[in-house]
Amino acid sequence: MKEINVVKRDGTKEPFDANKINTAILKACEGLPDQISKVVQVATELQLTLFDGITTEQLDEAVIQTVLQNVKDDPDYDKIAARLLLKTVYKQILGDYETAEELKKLHAREFPKFVKAAVKEGLLDKRMADGRFDLKKLAAELDPARDDLSKYLGVVTNKNRYALRKQNGSPIETPQFTHMRIAMGLSYNESDPTTAAIEFYNHMSNLEYVPGGSTRVNAGGSFPQLSNCFLLNVDDDMESIAKAVRDTMWIAKGTGGIGIGFTKLRAAGSPVKTTNTESTGPIPFMKMIDTALFAVSRKGKKAGAAAIYMENWHLNFDQFVDLRQNSGDPYLRTRFANTAVFISDEFMKRVEKDQDWYLFDPAETPDLTELYGEEFSARYKEYIKIAEAGKLRTFDKVPARQQFKRILTSLQATSHPWLTWKDTINVRALNNNTGTIHLSNLCTEITLPQDKNNIATCNLVSINLSAFLGEDKTWDWDRLKEAARAAVRQLDNLCDITQTPIPEAMHSNQQTRAIGLGIMGLSDVLEKLGYCYESKEAYDLVDQLTEFISYHAIDQSADLAKELGSYPTFVGSGWSKGILPIDTVDKLSKDRGVKVKIDQKTRLDWDGLRKKVKKGMRNATLMAIAPTANIGHVAGTTPGIDPQFAQIFSRSTLNGKFLEVNHNLVRDLKKLGLWDNLKDEIFAAQGDIQDIDGIPQNIKDVYKTSFQLSPYAFIEVAARAQKWVDQAISRNMYLETRDIDEYVKIYSEAWKRGLKTTYYLHVKPRHQSEQTTVSVDKIAEQKVRTNSKVRGFGFAKINK
Amino acid sequence: MGILGSGLRDGLSLHPIRYPWAYDLYNQAVANTWFPNEVQLVQDLADFEKLSDDEKHALKTVISYLNPNELLINKSLAFGIYPYVNAAEAQLYLSKQMWEEANHFMTFEYIIETFPFDREEIYAAGFGKKSLADKADFQNKHLDVMLDPNLDIYSLEGKKDFVRSLVAYNIVLEGIWFYSGFMVGMSFRQRNLLRNVGSLLDWITRDENLHLTFGINLLLTILDENPELQTQEFAEEIRGLILQAVELEKAYNKDMLPKGILGLNADYVNQYVMHMTDRRLQELGFEPEYNVPNPAKWMAAANDTLELVNFFESTNTSYEVNTTK
Repeated sequence: MKEINVVKRDGTKEPFDANKINTAILKACEGLPDQISKVVQVATELQLTLFDGITTEQLDEAVIQTVLQNVKDDPDYDKIAARLLLKTVYKQILGDYETAEELKKLHAREFPKFVKAAVKEGLLDKRMADGRFDLKKLAAELDPARDDLSKYLGVVTNKNRYALRKQNGSPIETPQFTHMRIAMGLSYNESDPTTAAIEFYNHMSNLEYVPGGSTRVNAGGSFPQLSNCFLLNVDDDMESIAKAVRDTMWIAKGTGGIGIGFTKLRAAGSPVKTTNTESTGPIPFMKMIDTALFAVSRKGKKAGAAAIYMENWHLNFDQFVDLRQNSGDPYLRTRFANTAVFISDEFMKRVEKDQDWYLFDPAETPDLTELYGEEFSARYKEYIKIAEAGKLRTFDKVPARQQFKRILTSLQATSHPWLTWKDTINVRALNNNTGTIHLSNLCTEITLPQDKNNIATCNLVSINLSAFLGEDKTWDWDRLKEAARAAVRQLDNLCDITQTPIPEAMHSNQQTRAIGLGIMGLSDVLEKLGYCYESKEAYDLVDQLTEFISYHAIDQSADLAKELGSYPTFVGSGWSKGILPIDTVDKLSKDRGVKVKIDQKTRLDWDGLRKKVKKGMRNATLMAIAPTANIGHVAGTTPGIDPQFAQIFSRSTLNGKFLEVNHNLVRDLKKLGLWDNLKDEIFAAQGDIQDIDGIPQNIKDVYKTSFQLSPYAFIEVAARAQKWVDQAISRNMYLETRDIDEYVKIYSEAWKRGLKTTYYLHVKPRHQSEQTTVSVDKIAEQKVRTNSKVRGFGFAKINK
Repeated sequence: MGILGSGLRDGLSLHPIRYPWAYDLYNQAVANTWFPNEVQLVQDLADFEKLSDDEKHALKTVISYLNPNELLINKSLAFGIYPYVNAAEAQLYLSKQMWEEANHFMTFEYIIETFPFDREEIYAAGFGKKSLADKADFQNKHLDVMLDPNLDIYSLEGKKDFVRSLVAYNIVLEGIWFYSGFMVGMSFRQRNLLRNVGSLLDWITRDENLHLTFGINLLLTILDENPELQTQEFAEEIRGLILQAVELEKAYNKDMLPKGILGLNADYVNQYVMHMTDRRLQELGFEPEYNVPNPAKWMAAANDTLELVNFFESTNTSYEVNTTK
């Protein structure tokens, strides 16, 4: 083999030393089976990619990439890659070390220096080093062994997205530094900040819960914009529109997600009095928001993102539905902004009854955006009469079913607009005593009211369910309770610390102290317990878990109210009347005049809690189940309440494309001695094990892909959780069918079962690119779709 | 009446559909419609600045090769394939394919316009090196035959010329030569560079995949319908043609990666080319020649699995545009 020299950091050259690399890989294999064969495998493949003049950094990267490409054969390689990457992080930030003890000591020694230096450089808040924290004590708590809980994607996500960097871009945080920085950044106002920070740190570093992205990026930082979600409603005047663009830019800069309501804007062609002209309608202004997002989102750790909401009675709703089409006039399209439709019960009933649906210019029906439930229906019907009597400037009329199908057709082709239900949200809300909820947010899990003086904000933490399920398949309920209570306290602290350059958002945050505690890892724990996602056991479990977390979150907020006082707009809220989330199901049935079909069993002492919340609540809202697409990676579990996409699939994120192999399935198949023989077949089947001979039926039942599950299972899981969740749930949907009549049934059922919102729709692609890393005959067989007798040149004998 | 023929009035009626595979492919191709400007390349610009000279060279070589060749394929289709294919469903597919080649060409234009490339340099590079000129000669030789006005598609020689031309453009150019370029392009994404160019390449490979499926089915159908083509001698000639193309590709890879870049060197890409060639041979019914595994196991994630997109961060390239009403 030709000679290969490695260029070191100082520019000098040395011959490539295979032994050194092999030793490092071997060390990363600690505790894993077949270490030697793994090292040989990686070393052999690494040889192929080397070239003379490779730098040490490139060599490190090449080793990790080579390890990673073996994940498809064995998820153990994911562990090895994670450890190798962690090692490069440690070395870069802390310097050389040999043993685990040395590494822990290095953490303890370097952390106080890191905090002080970062404060000095203006990267961290002055409060981090003003004496309120015992930095040495905190540093001694740092436990780098916990990094071993992370998978490769978690390490890489943390490194690229959340770890603090200097102005010049060089990283200065190890994962444990990050956890502690966040914990401290949420403890400034505690009476004993050090103790509080240690408690929060322990929960977070054990991956029991993970705060939302903005908090992870900015906590402890010099500009603590910690809130995750912002919801603003645009009024029908130029000032308000311009302000919305300005606010969008600020929020995007601070890494928050945005929901923007556009229903109030007068329709295209509506008269403008001041200039005696006609309005262009809301669509061009949505385009402005889109452009603003693009302008601000280019750099920064998290891309700016927004969802634009519109009610479907707006005269320009038709154009709104087309915003995400991939062809057509680019000025009538949004490339970045997502879209969501805010649907009333009246509409859903008209779809059921196959009646007409009327569209109005909000300039003529200004009160409709403020009304909901029965009142909306009554007023809407009045407007119909006025319209039919010829007393409106303009209106439009379509069969409700036709519009519903149009929405769903667009949803299938473009994944937009997402369907959210205005009346379910408002009738079930405990927090809309100050005004109507006009929209949800970017991820459809937040339901807070907004008006001219209030841009609703919300702050998120998600509990990692898998951290509380033992090897023996029992739940550690006490620890789960402690985690839920700590998370609420941490979130409540956040309300006093977070900042944003938007006064209306600060105001809403202070008035409501709204928080959203969610869950993630549902599929992960179901698989570990051997339950199928679409089983009674799964439904009961998600019901029980959300009830439990909801109960303790509410109880903790009531306790905090006793200690620190209620949130300012508590009086008049549902809480103040002793109403709990579970009680709003019947309220919704009554308002609709149709029973919401859902099991209403309870397991805990809700009566006691009803009395308690009447006396005071610290937070206007407590729960919201976020998608956790990124923080799920940090926790190394399945996101939110999502099903397993497939047993093997690739994830495309800001950090690149990663192969995911379901560790639970591999573990189960390895136990049965099946994995090694079947892995290629499972891969060739795109991570679908249903048609593979030799896998026991009970395993097949547990490991279905998202497209194999009944769509009604997604609805049932969300409906069970939604009973206990006072805000909403980011319910991703996965459909194999492309039949729009089926879509009508599925989404009507979601409404009937009391879901407040649905989120992104993934439709199974019918066509995939050719697989290039599996054995050939399989492909040849699939490709030749002519008739089975055709053999091509198979008749020929070729003499080599 | 077989799938080959040149009657102007033949093949104008879709039903009854004689070749359902062609009709299926047409429908899938329509569903796969996409446009390059759905992907924003701005983030990739910063990545480009980070690339080493060798990496930039490799990227430019790939683009400068793929760009003109997308249009060359259209010439092959227009002069060499389309006039002799008789079934309406097959003509529909070919028409959609030609639009796709145009769309791919415009995609590379989009990349060339966006990146700080010297346009003249890129175009010159496409034909400058001997290894590139040799590849072009190979293609032109087989296309020239099809331009002969005396070609009789009903004769044995005419049919053989058609098959040779189909193999040269479809199996070799689209099925082997393009893939090494795609692989080099996607290898950057593996290191989290040029992700958006990677998304465009995802779309292009998705299309190319159908082109190849169509071409292989067409070839197998022709062999089936014309037993006189099934001779040992002709089989050996076709196989030889494909193997010759591999040698041309190896010389080209050497020019693309004179020194090697992170994760890739010419030997590595050559092995990939040989692996892909074995697949093509097997798809045509031949025994494989090289029996080497795909060295780029990472393509498992890049290309082989269903993709779950974080749609805030990455373009969803797996959607399809038509819906069942």
